[in-house]
Amino acid sequence: MNIFLSDKNRLVQRIAHGFCEIEIQPIAGKIDKEAHFPWDVVKKMGELGYFGIQAPKSLGGAALDTVDYILIIEEISKSCAALGLCVAVHNSVALYPLLAFGSEEQKKKWAPQLTSGNKIGAFCLTEPNAGSDASGIESEAISKDRYYVINGSKAFVTNGGVAGIYLIFARTNPNNGNKGISVLIVERGTPGLIVGDLEELCGVRANPVSSVRLNDCEVPSQNLLGREGAGLSIGFAALDIGRIGIAAQAAGIARAALEEAIRYSKQRHQFGVPIAKHQALSMMIADMATKVDAARLMAYRAATLRDKGESFSQASAMAKLFSSEISSEVTDQALQIHGGYGYSKSYPVERYYRDARVTRIYEGTSEVHKMVIARGIMGN
Amino acid sequence: MGVNIIVCIKSIKSTASQGQRSFSDELNPHDRATLEVALRIREDLGGTITALSMGPETFATSLHEAMVIGVDRGILISDRALAGSDTLATSHVLAAAIRRLAPYDLVLFSARTADSDTGQVGPQTAVALELPIITGVCSIEQGKNSLFVERNYDGFLERYEVYFPAALTIHQSAIRPRDTGFLRIQSVFEKGLECWNHTDLGLNRKEVGEIGSSTRLFSLSQTKKMRACAFMSGSGPGQADQLVKALLQLDMI
Ligand SMILES: Cc1cc2nc3c(=O)[nH]c(=O)nc-3n(C[C@H](O)[C@H](O)[C@H](O)COP(=O)(O)OP(=O)(O)OC[C@H]3O[C@@H](n4cnc5c(N)ncnc54)[C@H](O)[C@@H]3O)c2cc1C
Repeated sequence: MNIFLSDKNRLVQRIAHGFCEIEIQPIAGKIDKEAHFPWDVVKKMGELGYFGIQAPKSLGGAALDTVDYILIIEEISKSCAALGLCVAVHNSVALYPLLAFGSEEQKKKWAPQLTSGNKIGAFCLTEPNAGSDASGIESEAISKDRYYVINGSKAFVTNGGVAGIYLIFARTNPNNGNKGISVLIVERGTPGLIVGDLEELCGVRANPVSSVRLNDCEVPSQNLLGREGAGLSIGFAALDIGRIGIAAQAAGIARAALEEAIRYSKQRHQFGVPIAKHQALSMMIADMATKVDAARLMAYRAATLRDKGESFSQASAMAKLFSSEISSEVTDQALQIHGGYGYSKSYPVERYYRDARVTRIYEGTSEVHKMVIARGIMGN
Repeated sequence: MGVNIIVCIKSIKSTASQGQRSFSDELNPHDRATLEVALRIREDLGGTITALSMGPETFATSLHEAMVIGVDRGILISDRALAGSDTLATSHVLAAAIRRLAPYDLVLFSARTADSDTGQVGPQTAVALELPIITGVCSIEQGKNSLFVERNYDGFLERYEVYFPAALTIHQSAIRPRDTGFLRIQSVFEKGLECWNHTDLGLNRKEVGEIGSSTRLFSLSQTKKMRACAFMSGSGPGQADQLVKALLQLDMI
């Protein structure tokens, strides 16, 4: 991959790698089992810049580029997909909209809290009745004097259980369809913002994904992000970037599974030889490595396009689709290579297998991605 | 007052195994503790830290990393003529660079490197600079105008007081390095490194590189460890008895 990465990119990658090996890898299995959010590690990551990767220095960020960003997400996710998800969602779909669409006052008020990791960000678009079709959301924010009163219900909020700042998508105009949706910044502790129970998830279990209810929740009109009615376009712009991160996350999980499979297949003997010597398995590993490589390259390409200021949403959608699909395949094959032990909790591959699975669902399902890509190619 | 500290660091080949990682050179892991020692001294006494490295251009990465960790200045000494230097020629070059950085108070090395582990460069450089040196330092305390350092050698803990200027080689156990973050990376790459070559240091071609080296590595082969594995069987207490007997026989306890 060297040819695509600058010296700075590589240093970022190595620093992230070093931290994750020492601080995250050793606890990843345990926090998955206990569905525990590791605040102590997250606090440290906040001090080191993980929660303001691309934010400007003046707002407490590290001012790195998108390639740096996905290298960091890949390294974290290779150790622990749940923390990779936490950092990815925070930086892309929560912090980015504030930086790109927020007013100077809004940025000054909230960005430093987010970039330092003192407050974790959450992105609340999905609702019980609106998933793939985000334009179907029913939450309402009614303008009243200098306030909005928000009512509604949000589902599957990543970081929901621990977040300090929630971006809430709600209808400010019930009659205006897609153009009637706006984004509001709601702080934890605001009366009427009720964080629901955590989801019992199959994978990424250390991430406190929760529901969020809004019950006559009043926020000042200064908490409106961007224009009234710009909600969906802000959301989709954020998801374009978010998806590169999910591509990197899926590639990181796949890499972890591949490395475990290689290690195991060299050390496990059957029929008098290491199982890696059986051609069926070595061919499988060749396939897995090729897929992982391609997935990483697609993510790097999408990130590079963004850094160069070129349009990247098609590349980002393709990277997310491909990487999440191959991540499921590769983790499945890695589990297969481990035989019965792969199906046991005493090896980490079953965790990779569970964690990879969700990357095909969030930030747009694979099916929705194909729709988006096809539309990009063929027009509406 | 403030002290000027020079830390000599090097890169090693990454231990990455499956060709999945994209980086090939990395900072000698032992150098992290040495850099941490320098940072702590600067935090207490003020002053500057310069990281110095001689090697191919790929060593730049370690200097960048040292700057991200917090040193003020990174200097790479690199040119074709330097290739093939043995430890003595390397020490000669480092000494010339350090002289050029005068005035300085403290020159730090790591006691070990994770690859070719000779432990010679620190002491040889100190000799060339006529500096007092304590090797394998495992603890450091600040005195008024001096440092109190300890080294643990051959079952004895030696405690010294050293006055500036001095050289130390730091043992990894001296201190736990802090975690490295991303907040300085951008400015490090904006600032960049300084690059020197042997002529900048006033050195003659014949004094450096392969020609300037008085030893040559003739061959390199892996040795087998004379290590045998024995299994103890039976009940827990029985195994413990066997283990004690075996260790007694070997004069290990
Ligand atoms: C762990 C986790 C974390 C999440 N985090 C967040 C978050 O932080 N913020 C947030 O807003 N959301 C989040 N989500 C929600 C996620 O984005 C949605 O689950 C996803 O968009 C799919 O919506 P849905 O679950 O309602 O499925 P549905 O939209 O009901 O889809 C069900 C099935 O129908 C298919 N389908 C739907 N429409 C079409 C179509 N037009 N053509 C073909 N197939 C179609 C889908 O691909 C899928 O297979 C998270 C989800 C999970 C599981």
